[in-house]
Amino acid sequence: MKRLALLAALSLLATPALAADWTVDVPHSHLGFSGIQNGAPFQGSFGAWTAEIAFDPAHPDAGHAKVTIELSSAKTGDLQRDGALPEAEWFDVKAFPEATFEASGFVAKGGDVYEAPGKLTIRGIAKDVVLPFTLTVTGDKAAAKGHLSLVRTGFGVGQGVWATAEWVGLDVGVDVDLVATKSGS
Amino acid sequence: MRYHLVAIILHWVIALGILVLIAMGLAMTHLGLAPLLKFQLYQLHKSIGITVLLAVLLRLAWRLSHRPPPLPAMPPLEKAAAEGTHGMLYLLMLVIPLTGWALVSVSPFNLPTVLYGLVPWPHLPVFPDLVNKAEVEAVVKFIHGKLAWALTAIVALHAGAALRHHFILRDGILRRMLPLKDFRS
Repeated sequence: MKRLALLAALSLLATPALAADWTVDVPHSHLGFSGIQNGAPFQGSFGAWTAEIAFDPAHPDAGHAKVTIELSSAKTGDLQRDGALPEAEWFDVKAFPEATFEASGFVAKGGDVYEAPGKLTIRGIAKDVVLPFTLTVTGDKAAAKGHLSLVRTGFGVGQGVWATAEWVGLDVGVDVDLVATKSGS
Repeated sequence: MRYHLVAIILHWVIALGILVLIAMGLAMTHLGLAPLLKFQLYQLHKSIGITVLLAVLLRLAWRLSHRPPPLPAMPPLEKAAAEGTHGMLYLLMLVIPLTGWALVSVSPFNLPTVLYGLVPWPHLPVFPDLVNKAEVEAVVKFIHGKLAWALTAIVALHAGAALRHHFILRDGILRRMLPLKDFRS
């Protein structure tokens, strides 16, 4: 229902004739993150998220995407770290259960390289970011991979004693690895 | 007459734990270690500390339900000193881990405790919700450190008295708590 509503809303938003809609295969896709704690790198992933994507390689500027991530689903394989992440000092999932990335108007950079300029919102703080990604379309299937570098404190992730790089690095990475099927338009 | 094997095992587990905890506590706070090592030492200190607290509770339950072997004839003052020292030991062995637990619970780091990286351990109630966590943490940290020094002194007194009984008075008191049956001085 939510998806239908969003598609309906999208179709009102101008572009529709040329945009193709994609259904993201979440179980075969990966939304990960990485960072450095006490000098040791770690990786994690979000287990619960949804993505709504309208994208036509012939008209990338008409594309639109919205990714909604349940921050309580962040797991890194370390019980202590995973216990800390939902707390008020980090994602504060009670106050901000979701992070969102909303992009409109993809930019073709030549070959299979694209950019998705959009708004990333974490802990209620929205910032303009550009997600570079590569896209491979094979028939009805598409695979998109991208990496985004963020400074966590720009979104207030790591409050108080965690707001410096002493224990946990300020630079974090977000890795997007999506697999999608064209759902027609 | 010797102590029951259960009491003997608990005594030496707790003794070893206390010595390791004192050494760790000093290293953590005085050596200026690399962040990762320091972090790991704190986590291990918490794990061993809770282990000792649980062992002390078992020891106390055992002690209250089993009469210890009687003391040999000794001056009333020495007997009173021995009983007073044992009382202080039990008191400090309970209060110090509890102040450590409170310290972790009120820490502005708000890090979950995961015993030995495997068993999640809760924070104490109330402490995590205080508004002036940094101030309370400083006070509790001071108390935890000073009581640890007091325990170090009491342990030295306790061990010194046991050695005096063994090597000078030769009254066999130490043998009651040794795990070896045929130990001779």
